[in-house]
Amino acid sequence: MKHVETEEQQALRSAVRDIVGRYGVEYANKHARAGESMTELWQEMGEAGFLGVAVPEEYGGGGCGIYELAAVLEEASTLGASLIMMVVSPAICGTVIAKYGTDEQKQRWLPGFADGSIVMAFGITEPDAGSNTHNISTVARRDGDDWVLNGRKVYVTGVNNADYVLIVARTVDERSGRLRPAMFVLPRETPGFEYREVDMDIIESEKQYLLFLDDVRLPAEALVGGADAPLEALFAGLNPERIMTAAIAVGTGRYAINIAAEYVKERSVWGQPIGAHQGISHPLAKSHIEVELSRLMMLHAAALYDAGEDKAAGEAANMAKYSAAEASINALDTAIQSLGGNGLSKEYGLAQMLGLARIGRVAPVSREMVLNFVAQHSLGLPKSY
Amino acid sequence: MENSALNIVVLVKYVPDAQFDRHLIGDAHTIDRSESILSELDEYALEAALALTDARGGAKAGNVVTALTLGPASAAVAVKKSLQIGATQGLHVNDDALAGSDAWATSLALAAAIKTLGPVDLVITGMASTDGETSIIPAQLAARLGLPQVTFASALEVDGGTVTARRDGDDYSEEIQASLPALVSVTDQANDPRYPNFKGIIAAKKKKMTTMSLADLGLSASDVGLAGSLTTVSAAAERPARTAGTIITDSGDAGIQLVDFLAAQKLI
Repeated sequence: MKHVETEEQQALRSAVRDIVGRYGVEYANKHARAGESMTELWQEMGEAGFLGVAVPEEYGGGGCGIYELAAVLEEASTLGASLIMMVVSPAICGTVIAKYGTDEQKQRWLPGFADGSIVMAFGITEPDAGSNTHNISTVARRDGDDWVLNGRKVYVTGVNNADYVLIVARTVDERSGRLRPAMFVLPRETPGFEYREVDMDIIESEKQYLLFLDDVRLPAEALVGGADAPLEALFAGLNPERIMTAAIAVGTGRYAINIAAEYVKERSVWGQPIGAHQGISHPLAKSHIEVELSRLMMLHAAALYDAGEDKAAGEAANMAKYSAAEASINALDTAIQSLGGNGLSKEYGLAQMLGLARIGRVAPVSREMVLNFVAQHSLGLPKSY
Repeated sequence: MENSALNIVVLVKYVPDAQFDRHLIGDAHTIDRSESILSELDEYALEAALALTDARGGAKAGNVVTALTLGPASAAVAVKKSLQIGATQGLHVNDDALAGSDAWATSLALAAAIKTLGPVDLVITGMASTDGETSIIPAQLAARLGLPQVTFASALEVDGGTVTARRDGDDYSEEIQASLPALVSVTDQANDPRYPNFKGIIAAKKKKMTTMSLADLGLSASDVGLAGSLTTVSAAAERPARTAGTIITDSGDAGIQLVDFLAAQKLI
């Protein structure tokens, strides 16, 4: 295992910092507080090829992997700009289509993922099926050459700015008669499809949506991978999702600790910077260690995933997601405490991130379900559910 | 030669990052270069070169932009960044004997390096380095190479064999023309520098990067370094830390105190 990044990977991080740095944290904070997508930053990152680093070169992408994509998101988040649609659009949807799409689907969608010009949301969670994707009740029924979809989805991120939504549904297997998962690319303006904002108490630039699919008719080519797509297609995007969620958490942790470290060096009480006191410095040092360890696991998971070690990547991605979420929540809390009243002021931009950091503990899979997974798969303990 | 390809050399310097505090180290009063980057002012020079060559069809049409730096091994970072941004090839002059060179010695080595690149149409530099800030290298280099020089250009065009540059003064602008080959230094008003995109980062790996020693340039150690310099830094000290300043408490006469303070500082 190599832990030293190549010159290109280091240059990529530096170039992302250059772009995001030009927009500044004020830009990110303004959009988060207004609940508006960071469209200009997204477009510029897309044109520079940073959103498409993982798209194969033949489709105009960077030809690298989730490692590089996670590095882009980590650096943006470290500067306060958590482009959460990177988790969904290039990492989940882009990966699923690149790995399991038909040639026509790749030609149609991947160039748009390469330059960020296509934004695709991802609809999997349902009101009655959260973590248990086997319980998904959105059904796609064959009607001639078309598919007709019916169902409900909830907590779908960024539908208002997406051109398409990748919908996870179930079809009836023609041979066995059993239901099996299938994914469809749904243009947002399709008759029968409606989306409604879920009122969230989170300061974040992307909103959450409830989806209604009532007799939504899609052509045969909307089915990702065609009728023979393997079951693994559904899971192809879920490990990148965990790795990218960890990247946001690691970035948020770094953001919080950077602000706090600067502050406690400057802020003087009784003739000494408060950072000289161990009551301040030790919690920050501890948080920094926790964030760095999570970062290492996130990069490890990404490297395993890119190497095609899916099983090991799954375990590492879950662990990275778990630990990065915990580390970033703790880092934010520690940073706020270090700044005292200023930690809760708008000026320092820490308190507004509490909701965002807290997402990592519940999504894309809850802390408890990760513990179940590790207990069962890593330790071989009996399943409780 | 209206649209003919250009051969441009851009000087790029590896300088301490201005966002960190600067420190002096050692007896030679040199700057601590541990947190260093491609000089921001040189990014404008590189952008000016790339804009000219892009308009002429870029590298495919035979245009060449050479990023040239002089410095220790770590200075290669400035050239690599330039290659990622879009320069065609890199040239790094690196020799232990160069340590301590002043502008005079530096321009000697730079001129020798440029001469190895064959017929050059333009040498473009930034308006100053962000560390030494002498702003004298462009003039010395033009003299050594026998080129006309146009300094502090805030706009730059090349038409046929003529370069036209705009120089902005406080209340006037002047347009200056020179025949190619020429040397131009550009200000931070000249353009909006691009940053490396991902394809540029990947492509940079395959670009030609040459390192040359003094021997390669036909120079000897005594031509450069402290021996070849006309100036030496005899003393240097870090600026004393800022004091707390004067706090005026308003007891009804703050305005008068303020005016007295400004008058005492000879500001009014």
